[in-house]
Amino acid sequence: MSVSRRGFLHGVLIGGGGALALAACGGGNGQALRIEHADKTGELTANLYITVLATGRVALIVNKAEIGQGVSTGYATLVADELGVPLDHVDVQFAGSSTAMRTSANMQITGGSTSTAEAFVPLRRAAASAREMLIAAAAAQWRVPAADCRAVDGHVVHGADRVAFGDLTKHAARMAVPESPRLKTAKEFTLIGKVDRRVDARGKVDGTAQFGIDVVVPDMVNAYAIHGPVFGAKPTKVSADAARKRPGVIDVIAFPWGVAIVAAKYWQARAAAADVQIEWDAGAIDALDSGAMQKAMREHRGKGPTARDDGDAGSAIGRADIVVGGVYEAPYLAHATLEPQNATASVTAGRAEVWAPSQSPTLAQAFVADALGIGMDDVTVHVTLCGGGFGRRAIADVCAQAALISQRVKRPVKLTWTRESDMTQAWYRPVYAARVEGAVRDGRVTGVRMHVLSQSIALSSKKLFGAALSSLPRPLVEMLSGAALALFASNSFGDVFATEGLTNTPYQFGNFALSAEPVQNKLPVAFWRSVGNSVTGFIMEGLVDELAAVTKQDPFALRRTLLPANSRQRRVLDALEKLAGWSTPPPPGIGRGVARHFAFETEVAEVAEVSIVDGRIRVHRVYCVVDCGLAVNPDIIVAQMESAIIFGLSAALDQEITLVAGVVQQTNYDTFPLIRMHECPEIIVQILPSEEKPTGVGEPGLPPIAPAVANAVFRLTGVRLRRMPLQKAWHARGAS
Amino acid sequence: MKLVVNGKPVEVAVPAETPLLWALREELGLTGTKFGCGRALCGACTVHVDGLPKRSCVTACGDVAEKAILTIEGLRTEAALHPVQQAWIEENVPQCGYCQAGQIMTAVVFLRAVPNPTDAQIDDAMSANLCRCGTYPRIRRAVHRAAELLAKEPK
Repeated sequence: MSVSRRGFLHGVLIGGGGALALAACGGGNGQALRIEHADKTGELTANLYITVLATGRVALIVNKAEIGQGVSTGYATLVADELGVPLDHVDVQFAGSSTAMRTSANMQITGGSTSTAEAFVPLRRAAASAREMLIAAAAAQWRVPAADCRAVDGHVVHGADRVAFGDLTKHAARMAVPESPRLKTAKEFTLIGKVDRRVDARGKVDGTAQFGIDVVVPDMVNAYAIHGPVFGAKPTKVSADAARKRPGVIDVIAFPWGVAIVAAKYWQARAAAADVQIEWDAGAIDALDSGAMQKAMREHRGKGPTARDDGDAGSAIGRADIVVGGVYEAPYLAHATLEPQNATASVTAGRAEVWAPSQSPTLAQAFVADALGIGMDDVTVHVTLCGGGFGRRAIADVCAQAALISQRVKRPVKLTWTRESDMTQAWYRPVYAARVEGAVRDGRVTGVRMHVLSQSIALSSKKLFGAALSSLPRPLVEMLSGAALALFASNSFGDVFATEGLTNTPYQFGNFALSAEPVQNKLPVAFWRSVGNSVTGFIMEGLVDELAAVTKQDPFALRRTLLPANSRQRRVLDALEKLAGWSTPPPPGIGRGVARHFAFETEVAEVAEVSIVDGRIRVHRVYCVVDCGLAVNPDIIVAQMESAIIFGLSAALDQEITLVAGVVQQTNYDTFPLIRMHECPEIIVQILPSEEKPTGVGEPGLPPIAPAVANAVFRLTGVRLRRMPLQKAWHARGAS
Repeated sequence: MKLVVNGKPVEVAVPAETPLLWALREELGLTGTKFGCGRALCGACTVHVDGLPKRSCVTACGDVAEKAILTIEGLRTEAALHPVQQAWIEENVPQCGYCQAGQIMTAVVFLRAVPNPTDAQIDDAMSANLCRCGTYPRIRRAVHRAAELLAKEPK
């Protein structure tokens, strides 16, 4: 999209308001601009999101980041279907940080698996509005009723008459913007539920796709950053005389967060880094030792605010014949996106322009504004393709650092972190330890009690927003932090992330007590794919499996008795039982485990088949059934289930971030391993047919995989693993 | 220093020890080859040197000066994508897409040596290339598909 069109769109939205729900707005100033623009360019800018070009191609503004989850294809599908054009006529452009694009609780953010649900009606309404304007123009030309015309394949059709959209744009710009355009019914969908390809594949296989790390702007220089050995360490002494003499080096600059070596080329800065000697202070996290912290959490018996209290769990446990359970644990985890954190910034005269692979241009504005002491409106952010996201790219620390460097060298700067910085600069998935008890009396499950300890993302976020926005007017800080927290809030409990997935469990235990307690330290934690659900699924599904084992019930059967009749949970379980062939016992040496979880309004259940090979857990096959409402792009849903299962398996089996004396012990993919091709199980996914509104897809496939594997190991070996990573727990079995 | 990249001799003004990755990206503007780990652990930077896969992040320019370097940008012909690239599209492999250039470059060499591979052979050949999105099941399918497409190519 040309710069001039961005400017024009901005003009339109000033005329008509901004939220996605108002995307079909127009009239007044907007219409005058629309006509002027159409006469000049032949383009119909129907609304903030959709422009039909004179060529008939459609420019679609997507206000979400493409982090691999397929949102560009998803949004293009919604628009192409409703507008009546082939999918390959739609060109996706990513929205910048315009306030009009803040459609998620006053922010523009990609997270919480919300994109499709959020846009499903409004974006189709925007497309339907454009369609009706085009049809109105054609009907006027033909002097026939608009109701007798249809939009098909990029044309308006009436009987044997056809006219291409591109030939209608100037006329359509003069048509009134429909107040309530008619949306297609599900039976009329031509692309929704049927599209089987991605709009972004081509550039990603021929090397032309532009990620943040590929950004080049005029007069740009490059920066290499060295961060301290401990999070938050400040350089106290920097010796860089030799580095400054290296070819291409422009400056070596000490900041409170580290040292930047700036050179014409990145390879020059990187080479010069070898000549920089730095002494650091002790850092900001009090020599945190994660092993000691986890041990203390494991042994802790405390009370916390009550998140849920049904019946009388305490009495049920007191009167039980058997109490099962123990402490379920999970470590810190890094996101380890394959594209390291990077950003390009140009800071001049109190303004900043930023190009970044960002999940939230709004948060990027906030981070940069805070770092520079300027207003958020003085920061413009352009969003590029993201080489993975998983929550990490909502945090814009790298954008702030790039802006500070640019301010000092007075030129545009691209800052590219090393893999080592990417892995050690925190914002991890928090550590958890949950003490859980399940009561059984007369062979029946009579109650469950859980006390969840975790480092609080909510508290960390408050700190984050407080820190990021400290220079801004207080009401704005309140608005932004409140909005961000509200976005992820799924219940009324204070620490929504720690217990999400437990507080709202669909299991009907009758007696169920859930409490939580935050563990506080200064290492910031944040959102990691599926957030609290990445652990709470493991906690709940492990305990339910323990209850099934001790009551000698089939794990499917017990779950069914605990779940509401006619629920989507039961339907998904029934489908999975068939898909996995559960009634046929597995071959000798293979163990099968099941787990389910409800998150992001989507139900997913999985069966894992495992064996022990050379002393390690090996996952051979995973069956997965998902109910995510109407399937807009079925193959992308399958891909996201595969993706979340593999991402979750890496975490379940092998990954952990540990700190010794404040120093993160994992620095690259050798010590923070990902599942590799030869370790990747066969994955069989079934999407339950549904006509309900679409719900989350990017994250909900993750929570069931760890408990499915742990439950399979139990069924194979009789060993109950309650601590992730599971390979380490399996190796240490019986030791603690 | 002289390099031969995608069939063309080029001159790059870098010291011999400079990693090939950065010469490609910064001196030649060939940004399809990606930086992932800097230590030959992930495979995102894989290119061909004299027809064999090489991790360009740990390959010094001085060591490949006289050799034929092929990057993702040079894989296709003017007329068409390489069959491996085509197979990647047909099987909807890419998600974020960041690792895929390296995956494709690895697969191209592998299929030259093993034109009709088994799953186990694919796993062996591709297991050193990391994908954080977890596209492995689709890569496996796409390698099979590419093998079919390559078999149909005129020799």
